[in-house]
Amino acid sequence: MIGLSSYLVLAALVFSIGLFGVLTRRNAVGILLGIELMLNAVNINLVAFARFHGDLTGLIFTLFTIAITVVEVAVGLAIVIAIFRVRRTVDADRLDLLRG
Amino acid sequence: MTVETVGFWLVAAVLLGSSLAVVLTPNLFHAVLYLAAALVATGAVFLLLDQPFLFAVQLLLYAGGVVTIVVFAIMLTERLVGERIRQTSRHLINGAIVAAAVFAGIAGFLLQAPPAAPRPEQTGDVTASIGRALVGPFAVTFELLGVLLVAGLIGALYFARSEE
Amino acid sequence: MDLSLLLPLLVPAMPFAAFLILAIVPPIRRTGRGAGALSIAAIAVSFVAAVIVWHSGFVGERTWGWIPADGGPIATVGVMVDPISNAMLVLVTLVSLLVQIYSLAYLSDERPGALGRYYTYQSLFVFSMLGLVLAPGFLQMFVFWELVGLCSYLLIGFWYDRPAAARAAVKAFWITKLGDLGFIIGIVLLWSATGTFEFSELFERAEANTLAVPGLAVIMFLIYLGAVGKSAQFPLHVWLPDAMEGPTPVSALIHAATMVTAGVFLVTRAEPLFALVPEVMAVIAWVGAFTALLAATMACVEGDIKRVLAYSTVSQLGYMMAAAGAGATPAGFLHLLTHGLFKALLFLAAGAVIHAVGTNDMFRMGGLFRAMPHTAIVFLIGTLALAGVPPLAGFYSKEAVLGGVWEAHLTGPFLMLALTALLTAFYMFRAVFLTFFGRAHAGGHPHEAPWLMRGPLWLLAVLTVVAGIRLALSGAEAHEATPGWLPPFSVGLALLGFVLALAMYQRGVIDPARVARALAPLDYLARRRYGLDALYAGLYRGLILGFARVIGWIDRYFVDGILNALTALTLRAGDSLRHIQTGRAQDYVYGVAFGVLLLFVWAQLWRR
Repeated sequence: MIGLSSYLVLAALVFSIGLFGVLTRRNAVGILLGIELMLNAVNINLVAFARFHGDLTGLIFTLFTIAITVVEVAVGLAIVIAIFRVRRTVDADRLDLLRG
Repeated sequence: MTVETVGFWLVAAVLLGSSLAVVLTPNLFHAVLYLAAALVATGAVFLLLDQPFLFAVQLLLYAGGVVTIVVFAIMLTERLVGERIRQTSRHLINGAIVAAAVFAGIAGFLLQAPPAAPRPEQTGDVTASIGRALVGPFAVTFELLGVLLVAGLIGALYFARSEE
Repeated sequence: MDLSLLLPLLVPAMPFAAFLILAIVPPIRRTGRGAGALSIAAIAVSFVAAVIVWHSGFVGERTWGWIPADGGPIATVGVMVDPISNAMLVLVTLVSLLVQIYSLAYLSDERPGALGRYYTYQSLFVFSMLGLVLAPGFLQMFVFWELVGLCSYLLIGFWYDRPAAARAAVKAFWITKLGDLGFIIGIVLLWSATGTFEFSELFERAEANTLAVPGLAVIMFLIYLGAVGKSAQFPLHVWLPDAMEGPTPVSALIHAATMVTAGVFLVTRAEPLFALVPEVMAVIAWVGAFTALLAATMACVEGDIKRVLAYSTVSQLGYMMAAAGAGATPAGFLHLLTHGLFKALLFLAAGAVIHAVGTNDMFRMGGLFRAMPHTAIVFLIGTLALAGVPPLAGFYSKEAVLGGVWEAHLTGPFLMLALTALLTAFYMFRAVFLTFFGRAHAGGHPHEAPWLMRGPLWLLAVLTVVAGIRLALSGAEAHEATPGWLPPFSVGLALLGFVLALAMYQRGVIDPARVARALAPLDYLARRRYGLDALYAGLYRGLILGFARVIGWIDRYFVDGILNALTALTLRAGDSLRHIQTGRAQDYVYGVAFGVLLLFVWAQLWRR
C-alpha cells in the first residue's frame, strides 16, 4: 500500500529538481521549464492531500493552479520573446539591467 | 505487490527521470519533450490518486497547451536567431547543494509528521462533485479565473506582437 | 494696604507705566516730543512722591513672595524704605526729571521715532534704578542691577549707527558683566550659606553676631566685584570713559549721577555685612583711593571735555568707595548725593557747550564766557563744588570722606586721596580755562542754550549751593570727629590746584608742554590710559579669540571629522553593499532559497 508520505516525498523530489533547474539554467525558457516542474510538484501535493483527507477543495485548487500556470507560461514566454527582440539574447546572466 | 504499488513505482521512476532530463539535457527542444513526459507522468500520478478528471485536464492543458506554446516560443526565437539555441547550465554544484538542502528541509518535516490515516474509500462521482463546487461555492473564483485568462491572453498578445 | 507704602511704590510705578505705554503703543512713541512729555510727566509725579516720602522720613518694608517653595518663598520682591533709599529716590527722580527736560532741547534734532525710543529707554532706566534702590533683598537688587546695565547699554548705543558708540556700548556691557558675574556668584553663595536674600534678616543676624558663615570674606569680595564693575573701580573702570559716546544727557544721568553710583549704593546698603570682613573693607578702601588717583591723572591729560568729566566721575567714585571701605559709609553716601548733583550739573553744562560749538575738544573751544555766560557760571559753580571749595556741597562731603579715611588710620589711601583732591582742582580749572577763557578757537557764533536746557542747569546750580549751605549749617556736629587741620588743608589743596591751572593754562607762566616733558613717563602712561585698554584688548584677542580658535578647530576637525567619517563610512558601505544587487534573477532565487532554508531551521529548532 502506498501511503501519503510516498507521494509527498515524490513531490518534494520533483520540486527540488525544478528548483535546481531554475538555479542553474542560463536560458530564460529553461528557467520557465524548471518553474513548471515545481508547480507540478505542488499540484501532486494538493491532489494527494485532497485524496487522503477526502477534501474536494484541493482538487479545485489544482484546477485553478493549472489554469493560472497556463496563463503564466503564455505571458512569460511572450516576455521572453519581447526581451529577445530587444536584447537579442535570452541568456538570464546578461539580463541584468537591475544591477546595483 | 498490488497493481497500485507497481504503478506508483513505475510512474515515480518515469517522473523523476524525465524531470532530471528536463533540467540536465543541453538541447532545449529535447528538454521540452522531456517536460511533456514529466507532465504526462504527473497526470498518471493523478490517475493513481483516483482523479481521472484531473488527469484529463493535465493532459489537455499542460501536456497539450503548455508544451505547444513552449515549442512555438523556442522555434520562434530560433528562427529569429537563425541558429540552434544551445541550452547551457552554470553553477551546477551550488544549485545541487541548495536544491538538496531544500529537499532535506522538506523531508525533515515529512519524517516528523504523524503517520497518516489510511487512504479512505472513494465515494460517489468526484467529477460531478467538482463541477458542482465550481458553479457553487467557487463560482466567483471560477469567473475571476476566466477574467485572468482573458487578461493573460491580451497581455501575451501585447508582448509578443511584432513592431509595426 | 498701608498708604505710606503706596507712595514709595508709586515712585517706580510711574516711569514703568510710561515705559509700558511707550513700548507697547508705537504711535505714541513715534510722536517723539509727545513721548517725551509723557515720560517727563510720569517722572515728575514720581519726583513729587519721592520728595513727600523723603520729607516724611518714612521707614518701612513690605515684601511679597516671589519664588515659592516648601516652607516659605525662596525670594521676595517688594520695597524697603529707609533714609538711604529715600535720599536715593529723590536724587534719582530729580536728576532724571531735569535730564529728561534738558534732553527735549538737546535732542531736538533727532527724528521723532528716535526721540521716542530715547524716552522709552529713559523711563525704563528710571524704573530700574528706583527698583534697585528700593530692593529689600539681594536678588531683586540683582535683577534691577542688570536692568540698569541693559539700559546703560541701550543708551550708550543710542546712536547705534556710529561704530564707536556701538563698540562702547558693547564694551560697557561686557566689562560690567565681568563684575556682575562675581556679584551673582556672591549672592548665591550667601544664600546657600544663610538661606535668605533679605537685607533685613541678614542685617539682624549680622548685628547679633550670628552670621558665622565660612568664607564670608570671599562672598563679600565677590559681591564687591559687582560694585567694582558698576562703579567703574580699578581695574574695570575702562568702560566709563568710552560710555561718553552716548548722548550727553545720558552721560549726566546714568554715567555720572545715578547708575554708576549703584556700586557705592550696594556697599552702603550692605554695610552691616561688609563691616564683618575688615580685610575686604581694606581692599575696598585701597582700590577706591587708587582708582581716584589713577583716574585723576588721566583726566589731567585728556582733551575731550566729556572724557575729563568721565575720568572725574571715576575718580569721585573712588572717593566714595574709599570712604565706604574706611567705614565712613555716611560720608561716602553723602558724597554720592552731592556728587550726583554737581556732576549732573557739570555734564549738562558741558552738553550745552558741545551743543553750541559742535565739538568735544577743549583745545578747539575757548573764550566762551562771553558767548554763553549762564552756562559758564553754572559750570564754574559745579567746578568749585567738585574742587571742594566752601561753602559748596562738594567741600563738606569731600572733607567728610577725607576725615573718615584719616580716622580709619589708612594713611596710604589718605595721601592718595589728598593728591587726588589737588589734581581734581587742577584738571577742573584746566577745563574751565580752556573752555571759557583765553583765546576763542571755535568757528561760527556760539550761542547760549535755550531755556529748556538752561532751566535745569540753574536749578542744579542752586541746589548745589543750597545743599552746601545746609550742610555748612548742620555740619558742625556731624564732622566734629575730623581733625581741625583738615578743612584748611583740603581748601589749600584745592587752591594749589587752581593756582597751578591758572599758571599753566591762563597766565602762561608755566608751559604745559614743559611740565609734560618733565613728567614724561607719567604723561606717557596717562595718555595711554596706563595701558589698561590695550591690556584688555590684548587679553580679548589673546585669550578669547585664541579660545574661540581652539573651539573652532575642534569643531571643524573633530566634530565635523566624526560626521565626515560617518558619511564616508555610509557611502563606502553602500558602495560595497550594492554589489549584492547583481540584477541576475537567479541570484535572487538563491536568496529566496536561503530564506526558505532559514525558515526551515527556525521552525525546526525554535518553534517547539
